[in-house]
Amino acid sequence: MKTLNYLSRELRPISYTYFFILKKQWKKFVFFAIVMVAVGLISCVLPNSLISGNPMPENLIEYLNDSIGGGPASIFSYMLIFAICLLFSGIICSEYDKETGFIIFPKINRYKLIIGKFIANYTLMIGLSAIFYFIALLAGLYYYGGPIPITIFYSFGIALIFIFSVSCVVVLFSSIMKTVNITIVSTVLVLLVGFSIVTQLLILISPEIEPLYSLDYAGRLMGSIIYEDFPTTVEERYTEISFGRFAIRTWQTPTILAGILIMLIYAGVSFTLAAIIFKRKEL
Amino acid sequence: MNIISETILKLINLSKSFGKLKAVDKINLEVQKGEVIGLVGPNGAGKTTTIKMIANILKPDEGEILIKNQKGNLQNLVKNSRHLIPQGFLIDIPSFYKMTAYDLLKYFAKLTDYPRNKIDDRIDELLKLFNLYQWKYTRVDKFSKGMNQKLGIIQAIIHDPEIIILDEPQMGLDPKARLELRRFLKILNSRGKTIFLASHLLHEISEICNKIALINLGKIIKFDTIENLGVNLRTNEVIVNILNDIEEGALPELLNNMIQKLKPYLIKSVNLDITEQPINYSPLTKEFRIYYNGKKESKAEILKILLEEFDSDFTVTSFSQPRTHQLERIYEELIQKEPRRSQLEGGTGI
Repeated sequence: MKTLNYLSRELRPISYTYFFILKKQWKKFVFFAIVMVAVGLISCVLPNSLISGNPMPENLIEYLNDSIGGGPASIFSYMLIFAICLLFSGIICSEYDKETGFIIFPKINRYKLIIGKFIANYTLMIGLSAIFYFIALLAGLYYYGGPIPITIFYSFGIALIFIFSVSCVVVLFSSIMKTVNITIVSTVLVLLVGFSIVTQLLILISPEIEPLYSLDYAGRLMGSIIYEDFPTTVEERYTEISFGRFAIRTWQTPTILAGILIMLIYAGVSFTLAAIIFKRKEL
Repeated sequence: MNIISETILKLINLSKSFGKLKAVDKINLEVQKGEVIGLVGPNGAGKTTTIKMIANILKPDEGEILIKNQKGNLQNLVKNSRHLIPQGFLIDIPSFYKMTAYDLLKYFAKLTDYPRNKIDDRIDELLKLFNLYQWKYTRVDKFSKGMNQKLGIIQAIIHDPEIIILDEPQMGLDPKARLELRRFLKILNSRGKTIFLASHLLHEISEICNKIALINLGKIIKFDTIENLGVNLRTNEVIVNILNDIEEGALPELLNNMIQKLKPYLIKSVNLDITEQPINYSPLTKEFRIYYNGKKESKAEILKILLEEFDSDFTVTSFSQPRTHQLERIYEELIQKEPRRSQLEGGTGI
């Protein structure tokens, strides 16, 4: 009973912060929900409705993989990253930049504050990605009929881990950077441009090295896990298409274990560092 | 007001540096329950840094901050901030999340463990008191600077804390609101709350505070009541207003006569920075300014002599000791003569 009381007392500030942030962010959520619906329609419905003769994927699995994707070609993962950046970028630095910390820090332990804010924003991100998955699945069932493949739920699970790890990276940037705008720009650059450039360079120099450092690469698991016969061997995961002298070499997807591990390591390291920096940072 | 001698906050050798700049330098201060302490000093003296350390926003480099805990013992804030008696803070110009006043106050009240069933009543009570009730459901980014400041004060006291620490609370408030704030702080003090007030507005401080801590270059120069500081500095004065003006020709003789009669109670050596004589007369305001030795008995004797022996020369309409003026003198003597940090290093806002 004592432990329960203790836990309840300790968790209360987190839950107050959670509901407060949900209320604070609801307008942003509505905005992104509309954007997600639009993105869902653009990537799942419009190409098939507006472009006559557009070849449809062979089956529902292919269709869902094309719609959800993951990796550099996926509008969905771009949107996820943008939404995460906008929701999470101010999580720490705004307390310093806008000096709201003077009011809030004396009232709540900083770890509890950041956990409450993080969980609230993460909940909103779950909602946003659920909207997209729902549209993709609905459109897929409309074009191909049932049954619903179980792997779509695996994909959604991977999407949640991907969101979690990218959010943690944004939180880390938020703890280092001084303003919200700098945090947004720097995280978008690193996540969308930085990883891609490094991967391209690595492919040119040493294509046999799998880009296991890249969150972007780990995110491709969202699309590839939808296949029931998930590619497991290196030959299946690494493709090389030659055009005369030139060859396009691509690592299609990490293994499930590697992908999840990359994401969790990014999440763990980033969040821990962010929490330490936040605790020590002076206002 | 009864001051119970019970230490509620104690600063021991508190120090904080920013790089080479020593913002707070071995401050020692003891605050008793029910006291109203004014932390007075110029910009960059170290007031806000001291308050930020008490609020646990900045970590001191050296020293201890002891605050009473719920068991009645003094507890080191830096080592353990749990179970301390409730404190409320207003630091700097308040900045809020862009929400309505109600949402913000409700969140703050919950965080500070105010009884949930009383939160709404408490919010209404304070919003009405500070004339913000009609903006209860307005987003704070639409508030004026003064309204934000009022909300800042409300959030500091929303949970009815034992210790209230306010940094420049009058900033941005109009004269009426300042008056209301002063009245409200006096009410809080009469309820036994301990108030720690940082400001460079001497008038505000002198009206409310029992004790003054004068701070400059990160050091506490003096910590005492205004009266005691005045005695030490021999700058106590009384102002005597009279009914009719005194004829110009009769004034020198009258002043000499007054000095002779009041001599035992006047200051022994005149501070030439303040006045050339221990008694001055201003025809414009029809008032005498008498610099005396600061003892309460002397003040009573001066009044008695003026009424009895100078009855034929003038009629006394008021006899008062201006605390603000007195504090200004103290401030001038102790701080203005010393160099300011901005003069030494070209920096402010510490």
